[in-house]
Amino acid sequence: MKRTRLFQITVLLLVVVAAVQVGYWLYDQHVRGVEKTAALTRLYDQQAAAARALLDGGAPLQRVQETFPDLAVNAQKVELAPEHRAALLAEQQHRLTQYQWEGGFFLFALCACIGVIFAALRAETRVLNEQEQFLALVSHQFKTPLASLQLSVETMNLRQLPPERSRALLERMLSDLTRMETMVGQILDSSRLSHGRWDLKREPVLLDATVNRVVSQYLERAQTDHIAIESQVPADLRVLADPIAVDVVVRNILENALAAVAPVGGGTVTLAARAQGEEVELAVRDSGIGFRPDDQPQLFRKFSRLNAGAGSSYYGTGLGLYIVQRLMQLTGGRVSASSEGLGRGAEFRLTWPMAGTQAESHA
Amino acid sequence: MSEPVYQVLVVEDDPHLAAGVVENLRAEGFRVDTVSDGRRAVEWFDTHHCDLIVLDAMLPGLDGFAVCRTLRERGTKTPVLFLTALGEATDRIRGLEAGGDDYLAKPFHLQEFLLRVRAILRRWEWYRASARTAGSDVLKFAGNEVDFRAFRGRSWNGEEQELTEKEAMILKVLAEKPGEIVSREDLLEKVWGYDVFPSTRTVDNFILKLRKRFERDPANPVHFLTVWGVGYRFIPEPAP
Repeated sequence: MKRTRLFQITVLLLVVVAAVQVGYWLYDQHVRGVEKTAALTRLYDQQAAAARALLDGGAPLQRVQETFPDLAVNAQKVELAPEHRAALLAEQQHRLTQYQWEGGFFLFALCACIGVIFAALRAETRVLNEQEQFLALVSHQFKTPLASLQLSVETMNLRQLPPERSRALLERMLSDLTRMETMVGQILDSSRLSHGRWDLKREPVLLDATVNRVVSQYLERAQTDHIAIESQVPADLRVLADPIAVDVVVRNILENALAAVAPVGGGTVTLAARAQGEEVELAVRDSGIGFRPDDQPQLFRKFSRLNAGAGSSYYGTGLGLYIVQRLMQLTGGRVSASSEGLGRGAEFRLTWPMAGTQAESHA
Repeated sequence: MSEPVYQVLVVEDDPHLAAGVVENLRAEGFRVDTVSDGRRAVEWFDTHHCDLIVLDAMLPGLDGFAVCRTLRERGTKTPVLFLTALGEATDRIRGLEAGGDDYLAKPFHLQEFLLRVRAILRRWEWYRASARTAGSDVLKFAGNEVDFRAFRGRSWNGEEQELTEKEAMILKVLAEKPGEIVSREDLLEKVWGYDVFPSTRTVDNFILKLRKRFERDPANPVHFLTVWGVGYRFIPEPAP
């Protein structure tokens, strides 16, 4: 990577040097052209002076005309022949025009190269910094469940625990593993979104099928955490979006709602969809920890983690809601969130454009 | 005499990790309280006190470094063990500069964690016990006076001095061996523990602070002398 960068910077320097050289060459040619014309003009002036001197000295007009063929010599005056003057000026103009066009083109091409290389270098630096930051944050996010997992294993190894305590620790370990698995999925999704590697379609998606499928995958976890999930999605509602994106969005929103309700010892999560003009809205309401109205702008930021206090804690990756917002933006939808405050639950509203006929729809 | 029961406050926002740490500390005989965010950790000290804080660095609201700094500014001397996913040397230094006593990067080994907890409490107990001993709770030298129990002092020019717990501990270690050379490593071992700092230069910085407080001419010290390449010598009353 360092060698490539060194090569790129060397090429940039070479192109800059070449541009400076072309610029200097243009200037030099211009100066030389002007000087050459001036020298020729001086030479003709000297010839005219000599011709005048000969005429004044009594030399025959014909002889003087033969001696200085480039001059127009008559009894009244001696001057450069008009056709020679025109040729001289035409040659100077031709040279200058040639230099301006050819040199100007080279200079333009070189400046374009400098611009392209410089922009590429800057973009690469930005990507590298982002990657580094992303990696640092990701590794940090992984260390906490990993630490919890290690602590549980070492606790079982160090202490003689009664069976019920061992079982509780095993459940905690399984939960930590699930957490890490979710993180891996979210990190991959977020990475694909950040690098524009998600080929998003826009087609009709049957919302109730997606919601029911996602909910069914979380029922067991919800039961363990004493959370009731209620789904109220009319059977014929279709949204215009990417089917995988809708799945990921609903999954992340539900994951977020469950994580918000679990710390308060259980509660409810309701998913309700309805048609609204040309749009379909899915509202996901939970009775969880809620959030401060001031924290609303931070909710969808990458790696933002909010803590509601009051004995509750959020242990997500900080990527779920970022993924939701990005996917909604990219598929022509939008997402908003509201809460009446800490401990008073929250509501997330997902809005998609409504789709066409049932025949085209996918679940 | 039975071993004292220490009170520990665990400040950790991850419920699983907090539960694991709390369970293990309780199994070792500690009394443990837990809070899950930085602001509440600071508020906890309005009505409680403890012998050790196990503090996560990345906390929502107020991060662990800010919590530690706030507590130190309020005069809380309770030792702090940082427990965090930030494992870089610069983060360690940041934690210790904020007033932390030790630093353990996640994921960590349970036994090492418990050893470090005990080591911090042992060092603290040594300081408190020696400060309790009649005659050694107050140090007087060349017009300066230091009360080890109150972490306060008065310098030769009558200026009141509020010492940090590390300054007080270093002074205590030096004052226990007046006139003798104390190596930087000894100071590190007694005041911080073994491998906390990346460099013994940190001790030098604390010695500079002590000189500023108690020397008449900090640039030409007569009480806190550097023994080049070895450590320090404390001379309470230098010969005229």
